[in-house]
Parts: sequence; C-alpha cells; structure tokens
Amino acid sequence: MSNSLKNEAPTISRNAVLLDHSARATLRKTLIVCGALTVMLIFIVIIAATLGSERLPVVDALRALFTGGASSGALTSTQRAILFDIRLPRILLAASVGASLAAAGASYQALLRNALAEPYLLGISNGAAVGTMVALVFFGANEWTRPVMAFAGALGATFLVYRLARGRAGASPERLILAGVIVTTFQSSVIVFITTLMDATRIRSFTFWLLGDLSQAASGSLWIAAASTIAGVAGLTFKARPLNLLMLGERDAFDLGVEVERVRLQVFLAASLLVGVSVALSGSVGYVGLVVPHLVRMSTSGDNRLTIPAAALAGASFVVVADTLARTVIAPRELPVGAITALIGAPLFIYLLKRR
Amino acid sequence: MSVLCAFALLGCSGQKPTPTTETHEARQVIDEAGRSVTVPAKIERFISLAPNLTEIAYAVGAGDRLVGNTTFCDYPEAAKKVPKVGNTLQPSIERILALRPQLVLVTTASQLEAFTKQLNEHDIAVFVTDPSDLEGVFRSILSVGDLLDESAAASELVKQLRARSETVDRAVAGLAPVSVFFQLSGQPLYTAGRSSFVTNLIERAGGHSVTSDVQEAWPRLSDERALASRPEAVVMLSGDAMGAAANTKVAVALRNSPAVQNGRVYLIDGDLLTRPGPRLVDGLEQMAHALHPEAFK
Repeated sequence: MSNSLKNEAPTISRNAVLLDHSARATLRKTLIVCGALTVMLIFIVIIAATLGSERLPVVDALRALFTGGASSGALTSTQRAILFDIRLPRILLAASVGASLAAAGASYQALLRNALAEPYLLGISNGAAVGTMVALVFFGANEWTRPVMAFAGALGATFLVYRLARGRAGASPERLILAGVIVTTFQSSVIVFITTLMDATRIRSFTFWLLGDLSQAASGSLWIAAASTIAGVAGLTFKARPLNLLMLGERDAFDLGVEVERVRLQVFLAASLLVGVSVALSGSVGYVGLVVPHLVRMSTSGDNRLTIPAAALAGASFVVVADTLARTVIAPRELPVGAITALIGAPLFIYLLKRR
Repeated sequence: MSVLCAFALLGCSGQKPTPTTETHEARQVIDEAGRSVTVPAKIERFISLAPNLTEIAYAVGAGDRLVGNTTFCDYPEAAKKVPKVGNTLQPSIERILALRPQLVLVTTASQLEAFTKQLNEHDIAVFVTDPSDLEGVFRSILSVGDLLDESAAASELVKQLRARSETVDRAVAGLAPVSVFFQLSGQPLYTAGRSSFVTNLIERAGGHSVTSDVQEAWPRLSDERALASRPEAVVMLSGDAMGAAANTKVAVALRNSPAVQNGRVYLIDGDLLTRPGPRLVDGLEQMAHALHPEAFK
C-alpha cells in the first residue's frame, strides 16, 4: 500500500491488469473474502437482532430467529412482534442500504478514477432526495413513486456532475469534486425551498429523514430494497472487468476493446438505482460509499471483481452496526442513522488520509 | 491583540442595556423562562408569536391591541386578519420592528437567544411562556392578562376554566386510569414525553400516558417501545393543524395494540391538544369523554 490517495487509481489499475492474468486465482480470492464477509454479516445481524430499546430474552430470541419464529420459547407475542415485525425488517433494510451505497461508491470510484467519488459527496444522494421530495409533494404517499423518482433524481444528478466535471482535458479529480460540491449545494437549496413550502410538522419528519432514517422498514418497501440491491450489485459486479480496464484511462480501455460509453451508461444506471432506492427508503446515509470501499481496497487488492461484492457485504455490516447504535444509545428515543455513519465515517476517513 | 478584542466584546455583551424608566412608566416582571423583563405599564401594541398566546390574548379581551401574529394563528376568526410576521419558528425580525410593538409574547418553541437580543436593542420587551401542565396554562393566562392590563378578565376566565377542569376531575376520580398512547405523528413516530403538557392533560382526563417516562417534551420514539407499550387507547390529532393525512393513520407499531383491537382510537382536534391556551380545557373534556364515556352519562 505505497500508493498515495492522489495517484491511487493508476496503481490499482496496474494491479488489476496484472491480476487479470490469473482469473482463477482472483475468483478463488473473491470467494474466500466474500465468504468471510458473509459470515461476519450474518453474525452482526444476529447480534443486532438481540439489541434494541426493548430488552428481549437473548436465548429465546435466538431460538426464534433460527427457527424462523416456529419455536419462540418464552417470548410473548409482543416480544415476537418486536423481533419479527420491527427489528428484523429494519436490520434487513439497513443491510440492503449499506450494500447498495458501498457498491455504488466503489463503482463510482473506479469509473471516475477518483478515490473521493462517493454518492453523498458527488450530490447523487441529494439528487435522489430531491426526487423523493418531489414525489412526496406531488404524488402523495405512493409506495412506488418515491423510489422511481429518487432513481430519476440520482441519475439526473449523476449526469449533471459528470458533464460539469468533464473539461476538454477530461474529468480531473479536482473538477469532479468541485462539480459535486456545486450540484450538492444547488440541490440542498432546492430541498430547503421545498421544506419551507411545507407545514411545520412535516419539516420535522423531513429533517429526520434527510439525515438517514431506517424506521420505515415496512414489508413492502423491504422487497423493493432487496430486489434493487441484488440487481444493482450483481449488475456492477458483472461490469467489474471493464471497470478495471477503465481505471487505466478511457483511451487505454477503448484500445483494449471496452465499449466505454456503453459501460459508463450501464454503471451510471446501476449505481443510480442503488443510490436512488436507498435514499427513497432511508434518506441520505453518508460516508458509507467512501469509507467501506477504501477499507476493502486497503485490506485486499484494487480489483473491482473483488472490491465491488466485498464492499457490498462490508457496507451492509457497517450500516447494520451504525443503525444498531442509532436505535440503542438514547433508547427509547432514536437518532438518525446518518448522524452515526458520519460520526464514524468522517474521523475514519481523516485517519485513512493521514496514514497514507 | 485578538485576546484584547475578545475581552472588549465580552465587556460589551456582558453590559446589559440598563432599563430606562424615564420615558414611560415601566415595571419588572419575571417570565416563565425565569428572565427578568422590563415592560411598559401600559401596552398599546403587542405581537404574539404563537397560536396559543394569540388565543389567550383574545380570550382576555386584548385582541384589539394585537398588531402582529403568526401564520399559525387562526383562532379566533379575527386573528386571521392581523398582520403576519412569519411563523412561530421563523418570525421575520424586520416585520416585527416595522410594526413597532412594545411587547412580544413568545413560547420556548421559538429560537430565543439571538432574537431576544435584537428586540431588546430596540426597546421591545420579550415575555416567554413555557407551561408544562394545565395549571401552568392557567398561570400563563393570568400573567398575560396582567401584562396587558386585563387582570380582571383573566382571573374570571381562569376561574371558569378551572371550574370546568374540576368537573372533569370529579367525574374521573376513583376510576381506573386508562393507558394512553399519544401519537403526535405516526411516520416518523413522535409522541409526548415527560415534560409535555399533554402528558399532564392525559392524567387529568383519567388516563396514564405510556410514554410519560420518556425524556423531552416531544420525543422521537422507537417503534419497539411503542409496540411494547400496549396501550388501551390511542389519541391522535385531527384537523390540518399538525400535518393532516400523515398523522391520521395509526403507527404501524401500534396496529396490534389492545387500543386498535378494541377500537379505542380517538381523533381529537389538534388545535385543542397542542395549543396550551384556553381551549386546552376543551381538549381535556373531549379526552376525558373518550377515555371514560361511562363517567359522563
């Protein structure tokens, strides 16, 4: 890990191309790493399910979990409802949101060849938030319009940032971040404008949602989240090889036979789907797409075939842990999960920057 | 150098503008935030920054001297025609100054610090109310009446309101308290906590709030706690006062509570339950009727 943050992308890509010669070794490594991360995720989900504002008898709760509710021991019906109707859906939504944001972050970083590319910092989360608010204001409480409009908002923001960032000399990292800042602040003012038009109590619920709120884990939206996460992460993983080549630069990738425009569009679509649905269901949970892919790359290689699925699994664990904290530290009251991910994420990121 | 500057600034802000008593007759009162406030003896022009204070002002007969209020102030009918200075959370300081009030009535819901300072610099008194129970509301009515030179009307009003609340007290006395979940908003879930006047109101109505032990006045409650609380009754707000449609649905976590199973979900006009003014007693009566219909036959 001798690479500094600035020229990280080229170093990684050299690794990636080298690794490409031993595809089988990569596959084996991917399976081992992802297997280990899956075990960790399951472990974390089980622990998270035993924690919450209401104390449940741990052994009975675990038995209920492992038997799918068939044998719930001494759990009362209320305790069972807390476990299966409230806590578990919320943990699964957290996992889905975490996986989505981390995989999207990893792919933006590869595609834009920028270690700082992250849905939240590029204004893509905010684009999805604007879409969600427009859906709420104009289409009411429809379960489907919110994710669809959020997807549209995320996609719009993605293209806007990309266009702004591309100069004649291509998209430099600084231009990209600057474009992200401009698009973010512009959309923030749109959000402020919309909230000002709404009445007082809805503002309160929106400020909570904007900072990331996972309490809306109703069963219907959970299916939407799971479906989009699986589709999006799988789609990005399938594009991992062209993404590896794109990290060499668009010109080189083109020479190596990558259909640059098409791959870019496909990655933008998949990542916008992941970010859009996550934001529609849980607000803007920041720093996940930045911190998690970095940690994954630091501890493995920069090969996207490994980074993208591994980041998804690690991101799921990260947000489940963060939301468990949000649910428990001031129980029975709650914190927005985005406040926790930023509290963990920002210092961790500074530490990563300093260490290099 | 910069240290010196800081000291100079501290010195300035520490020096309170000395209350000038030479122009008009003035007096010192202590408001409900514990601040000592200098107010003119005779108030000809005042502004209210909260709907409950507007209602109190009209109820004690000082409505004709109200020169400004907020967009939330919609009762009584006359209050709608008074010039608006913004809403309770974001009042426009320029509008307030332009209306040249001698006194501004506020609740702790407003952002007080910076705001009070600016008004004080223009010799406008700021009186803060912060009732935490029904008795506190009566006290607010008496102090506002006193400030506006309508003490007699205020005492008479409080006497009537107290008589009505005592009728409720007698009716529910000795009855087993009904456990109540007060749902301020269903998604996300907000309720009334320990320091809210609604918690006190529920007790006065012969109930017991299942969230009375939660800190804060209006906490964001976890769904788990709501589900575990298993209330016998749910009280929600109707009317467009507090965000309408989103709130008239029972929170998901309460769908299997005894309250919902037994059809004991009550909608009460939000203006009667969320404004600590004279109509809070109407809210008390409606809640008591809902919780203990047997006591009012």
